[in-house]
Amino acid sequence: VTYKWLSYTLGVHVNQAKQMLYDYVERKRKENSGAQLHVTYLVAGNLLQNGHVCHKVAVVREDKLEATKSKLSTIASVHVYSIQKALLKDSSPLYNTDYDIVKTNLQHCSKFSAIRCAAAVPRTRPDAPRAPVPAQSAQAQRDPDAASVLNGHGPPAAKPPQQQHKGIMGMFAAKAAAKPQNTPKDAKAEAKEAPGVSAASSKPPTKNNIMDNFFGKAAMNKLKANSVPEQPKEEKEAVKPSVAVAEPESSPNTAAEKPGKKTESARIQLRDKKSKTKRADRSDDEEGDPGSVKKKRKRIKQLESDSSDEEDVPVSPTPEEETAPSPPPVPALKTELEPASTEVSAGGRKRKRKRVLKSKMFIDEEEGCMGKTG
Amino acid sequence: MFSEQAALTAQGLLAPPSAEPPTFPRVPVSGYSDCSQPFQLGERSFSRQYAHIYAVRLAGMRPGLERRARSQWGNDIVVRKLSELQAGEMCCVVGTLFKAMQLQPSILQEISEEHNLVPQPPLPKYIQPSDELILEDELQRIKLEGAIDVQRLVTGTILAVYGSEQDDGRFLVEDHCFTDLPPPLPWNGPSSDRFVLLASGLGLGSVSGEALLSTQLLVDVVTGQLGAEGEQSCAAHITRVILAGNLLSQNTQSRDTINKAKYLTKKTQAASVEAVKMLDEILLQLCTSVPVDLMPGEFDPTNYTLPQQPLHRCMLPLASAYATLHLVTNPYQANLDGVRFLGTSGQNISDIFKYSSMDDYLEILEWTLLAGHISPTAPDTLGCYPFYKSDPFILTECPHVYFCGNAPRFQSKLLQGKEGQQVLLVTVPDFSATQTACLVNLCNLTCQPITFSSFGADSED
Repeated sequence: VTYKWLSYTLGVHVNQAKQMLYDYVERKRKENSGAQLHVTYLVAGNLLQNGHVCHKVAVVREDKLEATKSKLSTIASVHVYSIQKALLKDSSPLYNTDYDIVKTNLQHCSKFSAIRCAAAVPRTRPDAPRAPVPAQSAQAQRDPDAASVLNGHGPPAAKPPQQQHKGIMGMFAAKAAAKPQNTPKDAKAEAKEAPGVSAASSKPPTKNNIMDNFFGKAAMNKLKANSVPEQPKEEKEAVKPSVAVAEPESSPNTAAEKPGKKTESARIQLRDKKSKTKRADRSDDEEGDPGSVKKKRKRIKQLESDSSDEEDVPVSPTPEEETAPSPPPVPALKTELEPASTEVSAGGRKRKRKRVLKSKMFIDEEEGCMGKTG
Repeated sequence: MFSEQAALTAQGLLAPPSAEPPTFPRVPVSGYSDCSQPFQLGERSFSRQYAHIYAVRLAGMRPGLERRARSQWGNDIVVRKLSELQAGEMCCVVGTLFKAMQLQPSILQEISEEHNLVPQPPLPKYIQPSDELILEDELQRIKLEGAIDVQRLVTGTILAVYGSEQDDGRFLVEDHCFTDLPPPLPWNGPSSDRFVLLASGLGLGSVSGEALLSTQLLVDVVTGQLGAEGEQSCAAHITRVILAGNLLSQNTQSRDTINKAKYLTKKTQAASVEAVKMLDEILLQLCTSVPVDLMPGEFDPTNYTLPQQPLHRCMLPLASAYATLHLVTNPYQANLDGVRFLGTSGQNISDIFKYSSMDDYLEILEWTLLAGHISPTAPDTLGCYPFYKSDPFILTECPHVYFCGNAPRFQSKLLQGKEGQQVLLVTVPDFSATQTACLVNLCNLTCQPITFSSFGADSED
């Protein structure tokens, strides 16, 4: 049991977890219940080494604690690192415990840390999964900022399940004030990337642009028709600034985001969601990804044109279509997507089709598009 | 330095649980600008010859060298091109150095494999007493001898030599000089303690996993999970983490697919895939808490030639979702809070190490600064892009912090220049070998190593 494991499992601050461990040790020792507990400590401090002062951070066993402490000239911190019943031969079990628990909590690994970074806001990316970091305010600020962000980012505006993040929202409430700082940072970061992405012709095309080249005008028209009415609704609705960024960005965005692509990216995002219900989607994601890769390849042959008008097609609606049919539909999403119910079904259909016939996905979607507009 | 104020509450966590423990906001980055545009290659075309890079290098550094030569040897010295040399006249010549080394691996020797001759194995150092120095300028070349240290210099350095031509066609050198430190940049450093963590050589994907716990400890310290409250508040002053290369270990470089038969390697994955996944997870933990700059290194999946382009963000899907991750080029230059950082992942320094008698990485680092060029050996023995318009490796401004990654051990030195330049030279050690990273304090330009250790099977400290 390491302090990190305890902190994640109990949902407490890391410092509290460390204190809890210490308290437990003390109490057990006082009770003298006979169960031998082996404790490892973390010692940190300054040490004179090779002529300069070196800051050393070490995990030591209890028996070595005093010896290590005496070696350090100044001790910066001492705390309990872990407790175990058996004597540890080496530190790999400690590492493994921590590795496992962090892996299962990757998206929130800084939740219980003592340091909060205001700038660590996930930005929206076309093909990168987004770890949603909610922040209530600064949404309005984000919209104009995001609109000014250069094209080339077609974030899949999938909405992460909101229930899951209410807790995080509470935690990040204090960050609201810091958000404006994030926006320029985000905008700056993305503006920096944008030249890379928008210069797709010269530079090696990013995945984003590969997508762009695949998607036909038919798909784009469909998106245009459907997403324009949706977009204002979404913008009002969006709680998370990241999503809000996504939407206005998606309008100037490389229209490349085809529904299929969006479903794929939506799925990638879904993959990140921790809710169990999404696990079914996750398997879809895995399937969807190679499928979509194949899809991509097919499309290169079929569609050569269209890079210019892609810019204006908003990307948002389709991911929502995908998220909506997914098992625990977020209520907010549902209300929002009510008018898009047809698209929901189309999205569902699309998804189903993806599972079965990956190679024909494109054609199916075309039909779906035409069915909708027609 | 880093945690002296932490010592007060060092034992604070050896207590029963207290009330809601404090969280410290990370010190925000007030000024960051990436200045490594010259190192970013747009369209790359390799159809050009490498001679152009030497030509632009010489043209770019000639004025500075002439100025320096005049200031050193007097204003009335004659600066001549090699074609204008007159025998016996004391003059100054500016040119590119070429060191003819017998042991230098040459492509022609590789062809000797066809003749069943044993190819030369890689050596740690290729210098030999019989090496010769030749000075070249735009049109001619001349052999150098005299007061010049043949062993120490490497090919590609631009320097000015002062001497005279002998009758036998060689140039007798009395003195030589380099461009010395470039002009200083104004100092706008922060007023309070701000730290930048420099680490390199994480070496993920290696067969042995000893450094993994240390890597995790490093991440924990930076993200504030480790340490008592005082230490955590100090860690909140770390404004940035720069990972200078070699994130993957050398083991991931195995190219079995080339040597083995196809049926044996069909289902195997490259070792770098797992390593990159591990890297992504570690980076995600870091990125949620601190801005990270990721520089590629020798064993990382990016191009081999310098300047190495940033790693592609598709390789790091989890971490690149965060705006705090910056994927940057190999020679990396940036302004952090008014302090100019310039550094490489160490390939240039280790290349000079192989071809020069200088043994100390810090000494080599200082020498490249004095020679005014990040990597003089670049097209010759180190892969480089054939630049033809300008050489981006020429140092035009003096950075405040100049670092190189993947050094064998940690060293740092504060160099004072004649024109008031102050440079902190840091050799960042290889983390997988030494478990040491560096903390640079931007406020007063000092550097402190930070070591991590855990207990092993033999229970020694």
